Amino acid sequence: MLTYKFLSKYISYTVLSLLILITFASCEKVIDVKLDTSANQIVIEGNITDRLGVQTVTINESVPYTNSNTYPAITGAQVTVTDDNNRSWTFTETKPGTYTVNSMRAETGRTYTLRVVSKNVTYTAKSTLQRLVRLNSLSTKIISFGGDDLKIVEVHFKDPADQVNQYRWIMKVNGVQIKAVFADNDRLTNGNDVNNPLFFDDDTNEELKTGDAVEVEMQCIDKDVFTYWYTLSQQTQNGPGGGVTPGNPPSNIDNNALGYFSVHTTQRRTLKVQ
Amino acid sequence: MIQKSYLSLILFLCLCSQAIAQQKFTVSGTIRDAATGETLIGATVKIQNATQSFGTSCNAYGFYSLSGNSGDYEMIVSYTGYETYTKKISLNAPLKLNIELGSGKGDLNEVVITSKNRKNENVRSPQMGLDKLDMKSLDNLPVLFGEKDVLKTIQLLPGVKAGGEGNTGFFVRGGAADQNLILLDEAVVYNSSHLLGFFSTFNGDAIKDVSLYKGGMPAQYGGRLSSVLDVKMQDGNNKEFAAEGGIGLIASRIKVEGPIVKDKGSFMLSARRTYIDLLLKASPDSSLNGNTLNFYDINAKLNYKFNDKNTIYASGYFGQDNIGIKDLFANDWGNTTATIRLNHVFNDKLFSNTSFIYNKYHYAVELLDADNNARVTSMIRDYNLKEDLQYYSNKHVIRFGVQAIHHRIAPSDITTSGNSSFNPLAVENRYGLELAGYVSDEWALTDKFNILYGVRLSSFSLLGPGAFNTYNSAGEISSTVNRGKGDFVKTYIYPEPRFSASYSLTDETSIKASYNRNTQNIHILTNANTGSPTDQYVMSSNNIKPELADQVAMGYFRNSKDNSLQFSGEVYYKWMQNQIDYRDGAELIANATVESELLYGTGRAYGLELYAKKTKGKLTGWISYTLSKTERKIDGINNGNYYNARQDRTHDLAVVGIYNLNPRWTFSANYIYSTGNAVTYPAGKYSVGGLTTYYYTERNANRMPYTGRLDLSATLKAKETKIYQSSWSFGVYNALNRKNPYSIQFRDKKNDPTQTEAVQTSLFGIIPSVTYNFKF
Repeated sequence: MLTYKFLSKYISYTVLSLLILITFASCEKVIDVKLDTSANQIVIEGNITDRLGVQTVTINESVPYTNSNTYPAITGAQVTVTDDNNRSWTFTETKPGTYTVNSMRAETGRTYTLRVVSKNVTYTAKSTLQRLVRLNSLSTKIISFGGDDLKIVEVHFKDPADQVNQYRWIMKVNGVQIKAVFADNDRLTNGNDVNNPLFFDDDTNEELKTGDAVEVEMQCIDKDVFTYWYTLSQQTQNGPGGGVTPGNPPSNIDNNALGYFSVHTTQRRTLKVQ
Repeated sequence: MIQKSYLSLILFLCLCSQAIAQQKFTVSGTIRDAATGETLIGATVKIQNATQSFGTSCNAYGFYSLSGNSGDYEMIVSYTGYETYTKKISLNAPLKLNIELGSGKGDLNEVVITSKNRKNENVRSPQMGLDKLDMKSLDNLPVLFGEKDVLKTIQLLPGVKAGGEGNTGFFVRGGAADQNLILLDEAVVYNSSHLLGFFSTFNGDAIKDVSLYKGGMPAQYGGRLSSVLDVKMQDGNNKEFAAEGGIGLIASRIKVEGPIVKDKGSFMLSARRTYIDLLLKASPDSSLNGNTLNFYDINAKLNYKFNDKNTIYASGYFGQDNIGIKDLFANDWGNTTATIRLNHVFNDKLFSNTSFIYNKYHYAVELLDADNNARVTSMIRDYNLKEDLQYYSNKHVIRFGVQAIHHRIAPSDITTSGNSSFNPLAVENRYGLELAGYVSDEWALTDKFNILYGVRLSSFSLLGPGAFNTYNSAGEISSTVNRGKGDFVKTYIYPEPRFSASYSLTDETSIKASYNRNTQNIHILTNANTGSPTDQYVMSSNNIKPELADQVAMGYFRNSKDNSLQFSGEVYYKWMQNQIDYRDGAELIANATVESELLYGTGRAYGLELYAKKTKGKLTGWISYTLSKTERKIDGINNGNYYNARQDRTHDLAVVGIYNLNPRWTFSANYIYSTGNAVTYPAGKYSVGGLTTYYYTERNANRMPYTGRLDLSATLKAKETKIYQSSWSFGVYNALNRKNPYSIQFRDKKNDPTQTEAVQTSLFGIIPSVTYNFKF
């Protein structure tokens, strides 16, 4: 589906860019917009992986649009995770807003429940660890597009045929995270050797260059977490007026908290861009 | 029950009018253009003497029928842009009169009378919410790239909103883009755009008549909620061979027409092609010259009149778009339509038309990368049979008929080759049957009071074969049934009452009111603002209920200065049911369970439309203004509260002026202003997964900046010779070079990631164009 999204976006870009050749049209400019400002909202990010180690839940607040991108921590919350086998972990606040537990790992097939109590409100969420699908390799792909050679990183893995799988990737280039959401499922690729290109736009990211050090983390995520990331990915490629009407992605956390609780597998691979 | 009482009422009215008819005779025939033999749709015919007068207008085939008490009359035939024809007739027996009108220069007609024609038709007729486009004025209006376009011109009318900058998509009275019924010679055109909407499928050269119904839909139309755009192709010159064409910056076009048998039959063939990609091919850059970007279309029509009672018409359209990037992807799409019609005049009062119609829309997207190759195809196809009868009695025009449409939708087929990441997939075809019967009566109750009332009884059946899921409110499958070929899976039946009335306050002023109900069973699923080539079509089903709209409208109409100034004001309110939206993260393409992604709700739209038009003199043109509101209320969106629909714009203004300086130079200008689209801006921001993410509160509660644009054009006619005419059109699009908003994106600043910025994208700045047109 990533490929398809890429295409539907670039079909229109192609036509536009070709028209621009003729019409010297289209331009971008930064504008002032008047925005409503709402009260700050609680944002919970919980990640539990299948790797034994430190697991983290961060809790902070949203800020008005005009502020800088720093988010106040919510301190003094009670954070616990339980599994469906009556095991329980209590997280402790190691930094303001960051709650951790040492040496924990999630087990395949188990469902974990996050419980956060902050300012007398209880937030809960459930997430289930999916079976690990091995990230086989990364490769560089070069496509020629409108006179430019565009370098793209592809991830390669074998999708298991006997189950529904959802994936998320996080890509870093020279240690800097690419600002794009990569999420896909096996709806159209079930059971195949999948080559998934990780496209991102160059509005907020630097284009890939030969010699760049790329690191890709692959996560196998559950269906609700996938819907969260996929909804976000549909929105980030277009602003208002350009496509899908934006909204808050459906969170698996209740009580109107923003954010998500994701129990997932994790693997990393690196690549030098060719 | 309702429809039964309607039928008996109409039957009763027919009988009444028969019973009191004594010593009445009928004059009937066809009105044509004297130079080309084209029938004149809507030409008005009147017979009058000192004591009485009777009037009517021609139907879509130029046929008229008029009854009067026996006696001597003056007959007057008139049509905009033509000389008025008058003749003394003695109506002592049924009369057959085929009349040809001259277009101003010829002297074929006896007397030219301008003051006594049946004017003020727009005021008298009970029809409201109807706009007719003058194809002649289309030539002089400024347009993007100099390509005249029916769909862009109707966007300058009140109540019609543009889909987007330079886009042929349109919204009528708060309806969505898929709620317009777009007909070309009665065939449905599902996707009316070329080149992602910058051009429409309608080649102005091939088109004779365009009528847009925004409300008060007559009962012969059905199937869409918000409007009917009825486009009719030219028949072709049945007097002599003629050719015309144009050479523009982006596309060229040619039309040939002529008699098959003089005065009996003719043909018309018109074709158009863009050549952007030919320019690309000329480029030395190898990555550019392998790309594809073109469209072409062909309109063709034949007609033959066997005798005064029988005429056959065959017409067709074929259009195709191709876009591709070398070694990466290819996308093509297009419409095909074919219409065969038989006109039969049973007698001087009963006119029949039988139509056999085929239409299809398809697209294919191909990914050419070896690792990820796939070809996705999709199509919707209709077979459509219509029988329409018009009965002209003394004070009534009664219209009745039946229609049957068989739909097939092949939602998505994916094929792959070699080692592709993708699997082949065939989403089950869906079949549907729409049946409708209708009857309507246009009745001149008194000289001042006219009504048009009727009912359309429509049914839709989803047919097997296939596996049909039922989904619960969470979008999960609650049950599945397997049905065989031809099984009726689900049937919906709706009576659709239609009513409109006009009351003339004076000869030149009237008030009108209308109510109509429409249903819709073919729905487009799209994430794009307006049409996109990969729109998915779905039918009503066990999950999707037919969309329903009820509209009431009232209006005030006034003409003055011998019809040269026309003013109208209309208000409307529309309720919509079973409107469709999508769940978060909906996957609409190649999804066998796409119905699980849908959410349903209601909508409402209301507004005021003002329209002032000057039709005569050196300066002609119009001002249209719309004040409106359009909202949706969908379970699961915006906490179930009403929110602004995307096409909601408070103010829309269009000012159009055409100035004929002298026979050689014509200048024109239009200015449009519209409130910015309703959009959702963030109310805050936060970070998840290391990404700046925006917090939204109310859907579509914010506004983009307004859109304003001035376009200019000048047309210079070269010196005419007897056989060759030519003209140059020069245009400037967006002469003020205003950066109108296309989209607004919120993102981190590239050079300072701790800050966010709002970035507006604009499509077109100032764009000059030139077109050369010729005719011989």
